[in-house]
Amino acid sequence: MMAIPYHLLEVCGSIIFAARGSDIHSFTSTFEHISTWEYPVKQREASCAPSPAAQESPAPEEPPAKRRKVQDGQESTSKGQVNGPKATQEKVVNERPFIQGLYVTTDGHHLVAITGSDKTIWVFEHDGAGNLKQLSQRTMPKRPCALALTADNRTILSADKFGDVYALPLIPSNSPSTSPLPPQNFNRSRSSLTPTPSPGPAAALKPQANELTVHTKRNLIALENQKKSLSRKSAEQQSQSSGATPSFEHALLLGHVSMLTAICVATLTTTTTTTSSSISLSNDGQQQPQQQPETRTPTTAKEYILTADRDEHIRVSRGMPQSHVIEGFCLGHDEFVSRLCVAPGGRERVLISGGGDDDLFVWDWPAGRLLCRAGLAGHVKDAMVLVPSGGDGDGGDGNGNGDGQGAGGKQVKVAVTKLLASRWTGCETVVFVACERVPAIFCYNLLDDNTLRHRETVGLPGNPLDVELLGAGRLLVAVDSVTSGEGSSAASSLMVLDQQQAGSEGEAGWRHTPVVPTNESAGGAADINLSTEELQKILYTTESLRKMTDSD
Amino acid sequence: MGGAKNKRQKREDYRAAMREEGVTELPRKKFYRQRAHANPFSDHQLVYPPSPDQMDWSSLYPDYVVEEAKDNEMAGLDATPERAPMTTKPKRLSKEVEVADIGCGFGGLLVGLAPTMPDTLILGLEIRVSVTEFVEDRIKALRAKHHEAKLYRNVGVLRANTMKFLPNFFRKGQLTKIFICFPDPHFKARKHKQRIVSTTLNSEYAYVMRPGGIVYTITDVPDLHEWMVQHFEAHPSFERISEGEQEADPCVEIMRTETEESKKVERHKGQKLVALFRRLEDPAW
Ligand SMILES: C[S@@+](CC[C@H](N)C(=O)[O-])C[C@H]1O[C@@H](n2cnc3c(N)ncnc32)[C@H](O)[C@@H]1O
Repeated sequence: MMAIPYHLLEVCGSIIFAARGSDIHSFTSTFEHISTWEYPVKQREASCAPSPAAQESPAPEEPPAKRRKVQDGQESTSKGQVNGPKATQEKVVNERPFIQGLYVTTDGHHLVAITGSDKTIWVFEHDGAGNLKQLSQRTMPKRPCALALTADNRTILSADKFGDVYALPLIPSNSPSTSPLPPQNFNRSRSSLTPTPSPGPAAALKPQANELTVHTKRNLIALENQKKSLSRKSAEQQSQSSGATPSFEHALLLGHVSMLTAICVATLTTTTTTTSSSISLSNDGQQQPQQQPETRTPTTAKEYILTADRDEHIRVSRGMPQSHVIEGFCLGHDEFVSRLCVAPGGRERVLISGGGDDDLFVWDWPAGRLLCRAGLAGHVKDAMVLVPSGGDGDGGDGNGNGDGQGAGGKQVKVAVTKLLASRWTGCETVVFVACERVPAIFCYNLLDDNTLRHRETVGLPGNPLDVELLGAGRLLVAVDSVTSGEGSSAASSLMVLDQQQAGSEGEAGWRHTPVVPTNESAGGAADINLSTEELQKILYTTESLRKMTDSD
Repeated sequence: MGGAKNKRQKREDYRAAMREEGVTELPRKKFYRQRAHANPFSDHQLVYPPSPDQMDWSSLYPDYVVEEAKDNEMAGLDATPERAPMTTKPKRLSKEVEVADIGCGFGGLLVGLAPTMPDTLILGLEIRVSVTEFVEDRIKALRAKHHEAKLYRNVGVLRANTMKFLPNFFRKGQLTKIFICFPDPHFKARKHKQRIVSTTLNSEYAYVMRPGGIVYTITDVPDLHEWMVQHFEAHPSFERISEGEQEADPCVEIMRTETEESKKVERHKGQKLVALFRRLEDPAW
């Protein structure tokens, strides 16, 4: 049995949400436990819950997909059971999908979560005091990788593994066909890219060509194969049609032919001093003397959708209902892009991106222009050779050289898992960066000239799985105390970091305070019947986005 | 297998000979054959620029390269001190590519179009390696053969997966014409995402096209024709072009007769279904 560390955090005013496995917990700012939402386990699956008996003899009628082959050597030793002389045996693994995304609406009234392996988006109502009420559960056609909410908090944008972005109303109306959300025009082909009406089942089941229309050998073969599989497909379609096309309101907004990794909504405010658009021609075509005052539209805010993919692209599309219009790209990454972050504090044109490259990138996204690249790999390298201090703050020596070749000469691979920007008092913009399997947080300053300057590296006792801001100079970090770092007490994996000013208490740095939420019952949902490797496979997914090359 | 090796050796020898300077003999297809389908979703070993600014077109269109010295001088005068590292400025051309043939196959359309628009740069994009090499050799031989008349200097071919990397090669609004001729039909519904025309991909075609530009499509498969019409018509950035205007466009005749697939369809007395779409102006935002 393996304890699961907290791996996703969201802060909503004074309420903290933290996901651990397939459960979402809420805490007060002093880490008093408020509530827990547990992933609903169906009766059948509940019987597979980790009890030794169930593991030893999976019910024979379980479909094979429900089992996972596990090497004997990796079996948890606590059971000490020997199940015949087979080299491998089947074991039922935990069926409950992990929470893989957690988002609060800006008004704090709702929480949205993704569970990965079952492709589901969950919406909860939040009473403002940490209590959640599940409102909906929607299974997407493909696995959602990241979500964003439109500025009005009314629409969820879901970016999926197949490269598509779908819009779903945060609150689904009762009958999808009768009451689409007014401003978004769901299901209207001219305003969104909702798939064109597919031919009815009858049309779909007739071969799409005949011998007279097919002239090449390979097309003929394709036609043959198609005919052969028609009867099989008709059965499949009957049973799958509901799964293939969701029955709830949704609209396809845009798509890449590549796995999407990040999505965010950015707003651009333009100050338009339009002289009265009605240059007012009177009926006879004569121009009226301009007596009425200029109609000033002081600011108009336009929304844009920024999407990043595994093939190094960052795309800028207009927001709804014109999301079919691509305004531009921010191109320059040589490896996958995994995180996007728009600068805070009125610098709405500035985008920071990170991924598998050695550098962080800063963009003027409306212009698609690269403003700066800031070295990250060198700092990562430095952090990897540090002995984690665990207690007293900044261990970074600040000598990161940005080229990924530290003293040891060994190349490090960077995979950015978190970008968090915040404007602190004193007009300072700080960007916090976490990288996969690197036990540190990298702090940068976004300067007025839009360059990023490394400010310090904060060592951690284990790998950060998520980082959120609790206030100026105060961070909440979910540390993987289970599969990385010093292991030790896996009771809690949350840690608060407080920035210390240089002064009476000593040097400037960050004070680490491990926190153990109250009422946190160990065991049960927090434990999982997975090996360390299996758990890591779920928690560390970013580096796997890198493309294989011959040199690897 | 000795036989197979022998055959491969022959093919390699042939192709090496074709690459020598001044060959005017046109390449023969049988030495360039390759599996019919390449999966557009896999990573392959593709080479593409990080962005259009970093694309070096000089080897494809050597006749259009702008004089080096002048360009360097300009760069020296450039006062901007901060230059993103690694942006070594590629050689500039006096023109940009304006016409793209997506999935150009063996290049019949390129060869047909080149003399009809001698002042326009035309590019074929093809995902299969050896098919791309065939077209390269074909262009080289044609340039050598028509040396005096300076023909075929305006066509080039690139290996690329257009479904993923179009914006790496072309800037916004760069293209005036895109040809999609006899694309792979991918009959199975499960494979429709592999089709080269879809509502989401059409947004990328719209992006690289200038308003007023035209997408040309042709196929012998009625359902694919319907699919393309449906998806372009449903896309707010495109409108279908009337039959009258379509038939008056000289490119349509070339598309009907010059591509390898169109010739195959001709031999089998098949039908050729044509549809053209105009890139509209984007609405106000
Ligand atoms: C049926 S052939 C047609 C060739 C040519 N247009 C003609 O009419 O003779 C389709 C071509 O598209 C190419 N192709 C398919 N997917 C592609 C992609 N994603 N990028 C570039 N080329 C692609 C195939 O390799 C094939 O050569």
